[in-house]
Amino acid sequence: MTRTSVLSRIILWFNQTGSPPNFDRFAARWTPWAFGFAVVAMAVGAWGALATVPADYQQGENFRILYIHVPCAWMSLFVFVAMAIQAFIALVWRIKACEILAMACAPIGAAFTLVTLVTGSIWGKPTWGTWWTWDPRLTSELVLLFLYVGVIGLNNAIEDRRAAARAASFLALVGVINVPIVHFAVQWWNTLHQGETVRLIGPSKLDSSMLWPLIAMTLGTKAWFVGSLLQRARAANLENEAPKDWARAAVEASA
Amino acid sequence: MTGYVSAAYAVFVVVLAWDYIAPRVKLARVRRAIALRIRREAATKP
Repeated sequence: MTRTSVLSRIILWFNQTGSPPNFDRFAARWTPWAFGFAVVAMAVGAWGALATVPADYQQGENFRILYIHVPCAWMSLFVFVAMAIQAFIALVWRIKACEILAMACAPIGAAFTLVTLVTGSIWGKPTWGTWWTWDPRLTSELVLLFLYVGVIGLNNAIEDRRAAARAASFLALVGVINVPIVHFAVQWWNTLHQGETVRLIGPSKLDSSMLWPLIAMTLGTKAWFVGSLLQRARAANLENEAPKDWARAAVEASA
Repeated sequence: MTGYVSAAYAVFVVVLAWDYIAPRVKLARVRRAIALRIRREAATKP
């Protein structure tokens, strides 16, 4: 098979799956699998984090909070980038499915960002002696939450669904500039927040015996994002397409 | 496990539970609205 024919098959698959009735069936089929994998991976990760990994020699038991804080922090950035890519496609090529997917990303990203901030605050109290400090990493993460809330708010403020998605997509595109600021805040400024502990490339500062629950939680949160995205996009898709015959047929078939 | 650890994991579970339930509630509401519209249209047909 040539490279061109593989590419055209992928484009054809995207076009077919992007049509509202096909997307509804696709989401209905894969949502339980994604959530199922996520729950199993996170349960295994949480068991590892709480029951098998030894306490940290400096932070004691409280270091176990990092097994949820770190994957959620990664997801808060990952989801924003995913949202910005969908928003870009939606703005340039006006693909309806991408508008829906971009807008479905916002509440999931906001949820992960909220967990990051709250669990970081809970970890900060016994470790730093304070719930909150205006540190560059913490402040830029808070700005990320405000950006998510802004995208959600803008999307809900305009009655015309497509105009609302386009306006909110624009904010998502502008806001993506905050992602590298959050990521590199610990390198660019003198911060209280610790630097990178786990690296994709190069050795991690975390001992390998303590690493596997973090990997399990990371895979779990990624799968959770897929499940949640499909579920939210499916609801939005059906709401937008409610007057169409396929939507009525789908509801009648499941009644 | 300290109170801080329990509180952090509780926040994680509660937020993810909301993230799971909220779209399901919305989907059920949309389905109900469509079903209601179908019934209303069937009732008004001659």
